[in-house]
Amino acid sequence: MIRTEEMLLNVGPQHPSTHGVFRIILKIDGETVIEATPVIGYLHRGTEKLAENLQYTQIIPYTDRMDYLSAMTNNYVICHAVETMMGLEIPERAEYLRVIAMELGRIASHLVWYGTYLLDLGAMSPFLYAFREREAIINLLNELCGARLTFNYMRVGGVKWDAPEGWIEKVRDFVPYMREQLKGYHDLVTGNEIFLNRVKGIGYYTKEEAIDYSLSGANLRCTGVNWDLRKDEPYSIYDRFDFDVPVFHTGDAWARYQCRMAEIEESLKIVEQAVEQFPAEGAIMAKVPRIIKPPKGEAFVRIESPRGEIGCYIASEGKKEPYRLKFRRPSFYNLQILPKLLVGENLANLIAILGGIDIVLGEVDG
Amino acid sequence: MLGLTKGLKYTLKNLTKQNVTTKYPDAPLELPDRFRGIQKFYPEKCIVCNQCAAICPTECIQLTGKKHPDPAKKGKIIDTYDINFEICILCDLCTEVCPTEAIVMTNNFELAEYSRDELFKDMRWLDENDANIRKENKV
Repeated sequence: MIRTEEMLLNVGPQHPSTHGVFRIILKIDGETVIEATPVIGYLHRGTEKLAENLQYTQIIPYTDRMDYLSAMTNNYVICHAVETMMGLEIPERAEYLRVIAMELGRIASHLVWYGTYLLDLGAMSPFLYAFREREAIINLLNELCGARLTFNYMRVGGVKWDAPEGWIEKVRDFVPYMREQLKGYHDLVTGNEIFLNRVKGIGYYTKEEAIDYSLSGANLRCTGVNWDLRKDEPYSIYDRFDFDVPVFHTGDAWARYQCRMAEIEESLKIVEQAVEQFPAEGAIMAKVPRIIKPPKGEAFVRIESPRGEIGCYIASEGKKEPYRLKFRRPSFYNLQILPKLLVGENLANLIAILGGIDIVLGEVDG
Repeated sequence: MLGLTKGLKYTLKNLTKQNVTTKYPDAPLELPDRFRGIQKFYPEKCIVCNQCAAICPTECIQLTGKKHPDPAKKGKIIDTYDINFEICILCDLCTEVCPTEAIVMTNNFELAEYSRDELFKDMRWLDENDANIRKENKV
């Protein structure tokens, strides 16, 4: 039998398909991957350590920069943790604004994933269509909070701005527009035979493996586990909305694709209902002391971000800065299964598997 | 083959649609009123309370005050006020805490410079940056 010599191959850290600065050291035998070692930390900024010297309001802009594709959920998780510690009651209008902003962010995040995943696989046009619709969402959020990515919109006790005049109507009009475009995406990609052959059956793992690796979000739901914190541990006002949790059973990249596309539809349902129920008037900030000092103790909250469960742990000593802050960053946990998935795979499948996991390096490195 | 044909149909349908891209920088880019751009500073409004420098998450604001030249008046007036745009993240917290609205956000965002030193903006530069101020902050 002929044996080829093993070779070491560096993918990244400057590689467009790793979506940031991520490096994988591959040991390959011909075209087959024998071993894969991910190297992370190139984007490490020490958010958690920096936060120990910052007041709670000052930490919020730092969370924007972790998962920069859905900064609203990051904003929410830190505010939610502090609010839980202080036992604050959030005004209804603020809660609705938060939910609308978070769900719009989720759609935008999935659109980026859809566009870049197809781009990784060699399809150029879906990327352009996805970014066209994402631009509409980014413009809406820009009107609301004055930034396109790093929103810094939520505050402990509420939100910074009320909705500008006519904004809610714009969001209402966006929902049917997005639904129409989503049909187009399915026409363009979902039925495409080349795409189906490319993604079906690759990056497969079972339900048990997913749980063992503590995967969450679409990476977990693609294996048939019905687990979504918005449904199972409702936070904010998610219990008021009627939506489904898309669950698929094949556990491969194709299931993850279907799962994320279905999630866009579900998010649109939530936005539609939130706009319908949006209170005509009301406060956007609860009564919060000028300097936020949560009582001594600790708290852990978790919410559903587009990438999975994002958690925030705060240990407070009753001062205006936290004693210790810890984020459970879903991309970091989801990435851990990658070496296992790559072993024995063809090198050409590397990008298709990595893209399917949907990582954001800002979040992986923290 | 059916899937490919469907995709092609979608592409052809979009071929005749209007462009969504803009002609920036040849045409100006319209931004919403709340956009968080480079700050404008009003030296005459500032009471040197230091709150903006204290809330800044990246500590990019440095300011000093001096005694009021009119001995009959109490309090301080601003002497120097610098923002280091190498590290400013335009988070809007300084304008949020300012009690006299001496520092406000504008819609201007073009900050590209040829050297790092030029990103260090002083009081005079920040005072002159007075186009496109937020409507609610207009005097």
